[in-house]
Amino acid sequence: MSDELSLPIILPIGAIVFEILFLLTAIPVEAYIFHRLLKFDKRTSIFYAISLNVFSSVIGWIAFFTIEPMLPIAIKAELINYVFFNKLQNPNLSTMIVLLSFIIFLSTFLVKFLLMKILINFMNEAGTKTEPETELMSSQQRANYINIAKLQNNTLVTATLIANALSYSAISFIVLIRSS
Amino acid sequence: MNSLFKEVFALFKYIQDLLLSLQKLLTPTKAYSWQTLIYLSLFSWGTSYFAIGYIKDIIAFCGWIFLLAGTAWYTTDDPLRVPGTFMPVGAVITGFLVSVFAFGYQESVLTSKTIVIWPTIAAIVTAIPNFFEGTGGRSAKAKLPKLQDRQKVVVLLAWCMLISCWLQFYFVIDKWLKEYPSLRADNFQKSAFVIRLEPQGQKPKIGDEILNKLQPLVNQQIANQPWSEVEKWLLEANQQLGNLGRRTINSNLGKSQERLLWRVEPRIRNIDSGYRLDMLTIWGGPTADSQGYYWKKSCLIQPSNPGNKTDNKNTVARISCDRKNELVLGSPPPQQ
Repeated sequence: MSDELSLPIILPIGAIVFEILFLLTAIPVEAYIFHRLLKFDKRTSIFYAISLNVFSSVIGWIAFFTIEPMLPIAIKAELINYVFFNKLQNPNLSTMIVLLSFIIFLSTFLVKFLLMKILINFMNEAGTKTEPETELMSSQQRANYINIAKLQNNTLVTATLIANALSYSAISFIVLIRSS
Repeated sequence: MNSLFKEVFALFKYIQDLLLSLQKLLTPTKAYSWQTLIYLSLFSWGTSYFAIGYIKDIIAFCGWIFLLAGTAWYTTDDPLRVPGTFMPVGAVITGFLVSVFAFGYQESVLTSKTIVIWPTIAAIVTAIPNFFEGTGGRSAKAKLPKLQDRQKVVVLLAWCMLISCWLQFYFVIDKWLKEYPSLRADNFQKSAFVIRLEPQGQKPKIGDEILNKLQPLVNQQIANQPWSEVEKWLLEANQQLGNLGRRTINSNLGKSQERLLWRVEPRIRNIDSGYRLDMLTIWGGPTADSQGYYWKKSCLIQPSNPGNKTDNKNTVARISCDRKNELVLGSPPPQQ
C-alpha cells in the first residue's frame, strides 16, 4: 500500500448521487429532443443522449482535475468550503459563479456538438464499411441511415443547442428546488 | 433426529460438490488452457523469488504476461457477467491486472492511479473482442446487432470512464484532507457532496501548537527589556508579532499547504497595571463554523523595577502568559 491510500475518511456519495440524478434528468429530455428534431428512432436518440451526456461529464471532470491543482489558495479554499461545508465565504463570488456557469454551458454545448459529430461518424462509417450492400437493409433502417447521413450541420447545431439548453434548465430547476 | 441427519448430509453433499467443482476449476482439461497459464505465472513468481537483479525482473515480467493472458482467456472462456451490463466479470479482473501492471509495477501494487484507471481499462478489455468479431463476410442480417453492439460498447465505455472520474474525485477530496489536516476535525454535516465515515474528532490543535511555539519568542523580545522599548514594540505589535508568527508557522507547518491559511494577530488592551496582550492564531481557511474560529493566548505585560528604585530608566518589563490557550468560535474582535 502506498501512502496515497488509506482507509477512507469521507466518501463523495452525495456528489455521485447528484450526478446520477442530473444525468437521469438530462438524458430523457435530450433524447426526446433528438427524437423530435433529428428524426432518430427512439433507441438511437437514447443512445446519443446517454453517450453525449456521460462523455461530456467525463470531459468536465477531466477539466476539473487538470485545473484544480493550479488554483490559487483563496479560490481553492472557497472550493473546499463549497464541497465540504456547502457555503461560500466571499459574497462577491456569486457573480463569478454566474459567469462560470455561462462558460460551462457554452463549453458543454461545444463538447456535445463535437462528440455528436464524432459519434455519428463512428456509427455510420463502421456501418458502411462492414456492409456495402444497402439493399438488404430494411426500409426503416435505410431511412435512418439516410437521415443521419443527410443531417446538416445546421440542424445538428440547433438540436444540440436546444437539447443542452433544456437539460440545463431542468437541472437548474432541480438545484433551485433543492436550495430553497 | 432423522431430519437433522438429512440436513447434515445435505451440507456434506454441498461441500463435496463445492470441492469437486473447485477441483474441476483447478485442473487443466488440456495442455492449452487458461489454468496452465495461471500456473505458469505462479511458477514464474516462485522462481523470480530466488533470482536476483534484472533476471528477477524479467521472470516476474513473464509471470505478469502469463497472468494477464490466463485471465483474459478465462474471460472469453466463461462469460459470467457483471449484473446489469454485458461486461464479463473476467474483464474486470483482467482490467485490474492490466492497471496494476501499468501503474503499480515494482513500487507498490496499489496506487490511486491503478484504482482510478481500473474501470476504464475493464471497459476497454470488454470492448476489444467486439472489434475483432465478425470482420469476415457476414450476412446482412447480422448488421443491426453490430450497430447495437457498437452502441453498447460506447455506452459502457462512457459509464466506466465516469466511474473512473468519481474515483479520482474521491482521491482529490482525500488529498484535500491530507493537505489541510485542520479540515479533518471539522463538521461535514451540511455538505451535500460528501459523507464522513469516521467520527468527528476534536478541533484541530494546530493553532494551539503555533501559539505554544510562539510564546517563548515573544517572551525573548519583551521580558527584561526596558519598559520604553517594550511600549514601542507594543505600538508596532501588528508587524512585530505578525513577522514572528509567520516565521513560527513556516518552521512548524513546513511544506503543508495549511501554513498559508493561518495568521497571527495581536490584540492589546490598556489595563491599570500595564498591558494585556492577546495573541490570536486565526484560521482563514474553509470551516463549517460560519464565522470561523481562532485560538487565543492571553499575556500580561507589566513594568517592574528590579532595584526598587523609583528611577524610570531602570524599569523593565515582565510578561506572564496563560498556560492554556483558548479556542474561540466566531470572528476575532476588531483591532484597536
